[in-house]
Amino acid sequence: MALNVKPTRSELIDMKKKIKLSERGYNILKMKRDGLILEFFKVLEDAKKSRGALVEGYDRATKMIAVANTVEGSIRVKGAAMAVKENPQITLKEKNIMGVVVPDIEASSVRKTVTQRGYGVLGSSPVIDDTAEAFEELVEAIIEAAEIETTMKRLLDEIESTKRRVNALEFKVIPELKQARDFIKMRLDEMERDELVRLKKIRAKSQAK
Amino acid sequence: MAAVNTTGPAPYIYACTRMRVRKAALLPREEYMRMLNMELPEITRFIEETRYKAEIDELASSFSGVDLMENALSWNLAKDYQKVLELVPGHLKHFTKAYLLKWDIRNVLTLLRAKIQGASVGKIKEIQIPAGSLNRTVLDRLDAEDSTDRILDGLKGHMLYAVFEREMSAAVESGSFARMENELYKAYYSILLKEAKSGVKGGAAFLKYVRLDIDTKNLETVFRVKGESDGEKIRELMIEGGTFTLDELVRFAGSESLDEMIDAIRKKLNTEAFDSAFEAVKEAKSSQGVEVGLIKAKLTEMDRISKLYPMSVAPVIAYLELKSYEVSNLRALARGKESNLPSESIEACMVV
Repeated sequence: MALNVKPTRSELIDMKKKIKLSERGYNILKMKRDGLILEFFKVLEDAKKSRGALVEGYDRATKMIAVANTVEGSIRVKGAAMAVKENPQITLKEKNIMGVVVPDIEASSVRKTVTQRGYGVLGSSPVIDDTAEAFEELVEAIIEAAEIETTMKRLLDEIESTKRRVNALEFKVIPELKQARDFIKMRLDEMERDELVRLKKIRAKSQAK
Repeated sequence: MAAVNTTGPAPYIYACTRMRVRKAALLPREEYMRMLNMELPEITRFIEETRYKAEIDELASSFSGVDLMENALSWNLAKDYQKVLELVPGHLKHFTKAYLLKWDIRNVLTLLRAKIQGASVGKIKEIQIPAGSLNRTVLDRLDAEDSTDRILDGLKGHMLYAVFEREMSAAVESGSFARMENELYKAYYSILLKEAKSGVKGGAAFLKYVRLDIDTKNLETVFRVKGESDGEKIRELMIEGGTFTLDELVRFAGSESLDEMIDAIRKKLNTEAFDSAFEAVKEAKSSQGVEVGLIKAKLTEMDRISKLYPMSVAPVIAYLELKSYEVSNLRALARGKESNLPSESIEACMVV
């Protein structure tokens, strides 16, 4: 590979500085990558639990809506669902995990009491309560899973990009810088030897005169 | 042909005996258990071999599967109730008519909700059960109306018209018929109490049934809202005229100790029929389990009242209630099978 560098002493000093900086950056990024991987595995455990709760909640809610349709009929179930006027409020905040910005979701008014839900209590069956409760639990599980899985996705993206940077530094940037440094060193040594030979020859000529 | 005796106690004896015979012909528990192991077409065929044959045969060309079952059951229930109304004499008819008003509430609310949801007239007709004072012709006319104002006009002269008129605009505006539904049921029970206390002979037995129904409904509401703190909202959901005062019911609902609450209820009810329902509450079973327990307790008590007053409206209402639960059970079976629910879940929804 042809190196496009000037074989000067200042360039050598500059190159050495760059190598030092790259090695320091490499070490820091490697530590960040390892830290992110550790953090990722912690989040992965939570994600597994939240995904389990989500699947369980979905199964329960699906079963309950089938039971409610069985007992009450779809029109009455829809009527009860449409009676709910207050929707859950979602507040989206941010938190920082090792420089990665991840969402912090807070939800309110997800769980409601029978009187807060707004459907007619005297004309409906309690199976509507159980169904509404199952869906409220499902919404909570979805919100929790959304937070954890987004965190996990962002951590994964960050791990991937950090890994790419570490690999680039380890296998491309640092070796090329070292190669350039060695080249400059070699060229400087060669130039020094040239100079020495040249000086010797000049001295020999002047002595011969 | 021998002359039919239309005076004296004979018509009452005849009607009450007919009710007992009809009650004995209802599907027993074993049949439901057998049906739980059948597929939907098998259940339809099985039902066809019972008293639902005429309706199944009549509707078989228009519907199939679960729709056929549902429509046949609804038709049969409506026809059966109308036949009972024709059969019962004098005061029994008067009380039975008042009792059947709850079907009008159900049908009109179904109609209003279906209209809001944009359901077709055909679909609305399928889910209505003309078992009350609003017969098929009136319901068809109401179903065909496009605006709620016209539906309201069509209800003029109905015993619950005042409540419909008072609550309709707010309900349509908000899109929720919850308050209207609660008010209609409260008005329904107040009409029943008024009829029972009007001094008509046989009112005592009817009053016992009405009180029992109010108690069951109130207890169901107490168990549904237990732990809530808004006393005013809870009070709005309770029906006056039962064994418990509204203050007591609000106190029960807000009570922190479940055992204390159940003990207090048990003391005042003075019957063991509700014990299984209370056990279900203590074991924190699903609300559905508690509801089924309360319904079973109500039916046991109704059976006791009908034996206590054998020549009254009690055997008539006992039969009507049991018949409506038979239809609900069969409907639950059909819908449950269609939704592929496990047999245990379907059984939990049934009152057997």
